[in-house]
Amino acid sequence: MKIVVCVKQVPDTTDVKVDPEKGTLIREGIPSIINPFDQFALEEGLRIREQTGGELTVISMGPPQAKSVIMLSLAIGADRGVLLTDRAFAGADTLATSYTLAKAVEKMGEADLVVCGLQAIDGDTAQVGPGLATHLRLPQITYAEHIEMVDGVLRARRMIDDGTEIVEAKPPVLVTMTTPSDFVPTNPPFTKIMKAKKKPYEEWGAGDIDLDSSRLGLDGSPTWVEKVYPPPVREAGEILEGTSDEIVTQLIEILKREQFL
Amino acid sequence: MEDWFFTEEQRMFRESLREYLQHHFSLEVIEHIEEKREIPKAIIEAMAEFELFCPMVSEDYGGAGFDLVTAGIVGEELARVDPTGSTCVYYLVPASWSRIIDLYGTEEAKQELLPKMTKGEIFCGIASTEADTGSDLGNMITTIKPDGDGYVVNGAKNYISGVREASTLGGGHVTLARQDLDAGVRGCTLFYLPLTADGIEISQDREMGREGMSTGGFRIDNVKIPKHYLIGEENKGFYIIHEGYEAARGIIACVCAGAALKALENAVAYMKERKTFGQPLARYQGMQFPLAEHWSKMMMVRDWGYKALRIMDQEKQGKATRFESSQSIAMAKLWAPLWAFDAINFSMQVQGAYGYSLECTEQKALRAVRSFGWAEGTSEVMRLIIAREVLGGTAWKGY
Repeated sequence: MKIVVCVKQVPDTTDVKVDPEKGTLIREGIPSIINPFDQFALEEGLRIREQTGGELTVISMGPPQAKSVIMLSLAIGADRGVLLTDRAFAGADTLATSYTLAKAVEKMGEADLVVCGLQAIDGDTAQVGPGLATHLRLPQITYAEHIEMVDGVLRARRMIDDGTEIVEAKPPVLVTMTTPSDFVPTNPPFTKIMKAKKKPYEEWGAGDIDLDSSRLGLDGSPTWVEKVYPPPVREAGEILEGTSDEIVTQLIEILKREQFL
Repeated sequence: MEDWFFTEEQRMFRESLREYLQHHFSLEVIEHIEEKREIPKAIIEAMAEFELFCPMVSEDYGGAGFDLVTAGIVGEELARVDPTGSTCVYYLVPASWSRIIDLYGTEEAKQELLPKMTKGEIFCGIASTEADTGSDLGNMITTIKPDGDGYVVNGAKNYISGVREASTLGGGHVTLARQDLDAGVRGCTLFYLPLTADGIEISQDREMGREGMSTGGFRIDNVKIPKHYLIGEENKGFYIIHEGYEAARGIIACVCAGAALKALENAVAYMKERKTFGQPLARYQGMQFPLAEHWSKMMMVRDWGYKALRIMDQEKQGKATRFESSQSIAMAKLWAPLWAFDAINFSMQVQGAYGYSLECTEQKALRAVRSFGWAEGTSEVMRLIIAREVLGGTAWKGY
């Protein structure tokens, strides 16, 4: 089975702050990590590869330093890595990103299974996976938390509001994965990190892929981010004091005063 | 900012290791170590799974082929998650001495022992210290004599890490004994001594820290060992043993840096939160100045520890001399435990009366790092080594 997993390098958002004047993310000194949803997607893809055999290629689009997430993916178990890196790709929105990724996946030859994280934790759009499926004309299953191959058919378990849903699709198919709360990411030991260096790794620029250059990067992006700003800081609430009865009495007074009762 | 000193692979390894250790080391693990005076089996399995046992052994014998700098990273990261220092010792002693078997042991011994050691199935320690001879190795009472196809060993060793582990789990100690009795340290032979052998009787001591790791002694009564347990040549053990000690000393510097920097980070968090006389402790220069001094010293120890380990790595590539390695490592090992003790003591002081409670993490680390003023070579011996190379004109001057 030929499996492609898309990964993205993102800032560790637990530390990210917004510059209030420039309206941009302050990335200086913030460690970059593999998008956690993508690591789960990778590990699910690897599990399918163990089940079916075949090859798993990991692909990312980003600046040259995004190589580190490819190397991490190779250390975790991917067979081959491709980084799409070119100034022409910079500033891409989800449409241009999914178009570029689709053209790169086409260049690799027909994939039986494309696995993506649900969304990237820096943008939270959840659009690239579905966009990629659309460009590749593949059926898509989103919000999957578990996948397996059963008699040549991909079976996915999806989280929905009132329970879980089992969906099946015959490959080729694209799946986006959400991360279960008990997921423990694999941490590769040293020998696997060293072996990753010897696995096939390529960097492709715009000239290496058959694509329409007007659909790349900022020029190919109909979405423009006008402003990024942190949510306003909430003022401290009123703290009621006293016995339980006194607090309830005060609370009822306030609710009446504010016309909730 | 990335530390330029490390390779891309070492940086990735540190991140991976740190996450892995944070996942496995909990408060319950530390309590287990302190109360049951042992390292939980699950932690030993987790360490084995991540290739942390004897990782400098070559991959041919099941090791991970670490260089010394990478080995130092493991020491530093273990010290950050285990304030008792128990797992640091359980890591660094087998790491340093299995490397000596790998470098100087016979092919038969390497094939027999190293695959088990790298899986954490058997222990590998060091036994040179005796009741009356620590640094004064030329006056040891333990002797080794050729006997038939092998050797016979008699004597006793004291203050030895891992006696319980090696006698129950299996394994043994790289051991130094006198063979040519007229030649002092130049008549000592190094060999592997299984602690499960007939004629070994162990005793255990209770130490003030590192609770999860045993320390004790053993009597050696006419113990027969096969010839292939010889490490290096007969009567040349004194020259080889330094390489093992120096690897351990360099890793100890990284352990001390990890323990002290973690303690200082905890102190900083407390200083920002705790208010006295209307403002956080961190606002007082009386707190800031010692913090700045301890932080600077520990960052310097950390950097020098790794640099000394790199010099040792370079020695193996023919780019540094034995003298330069010894002196560089001794400089790191001299200051690391002394400064780490002071830095951790400061971190305790910052926390007021809580700093003296048994719950306080820093008091555990304080008791652990104190041991490194003696372990693997005393601070006094470190001074002797540095002075010897400086006075002898063989010291590394940095150019």
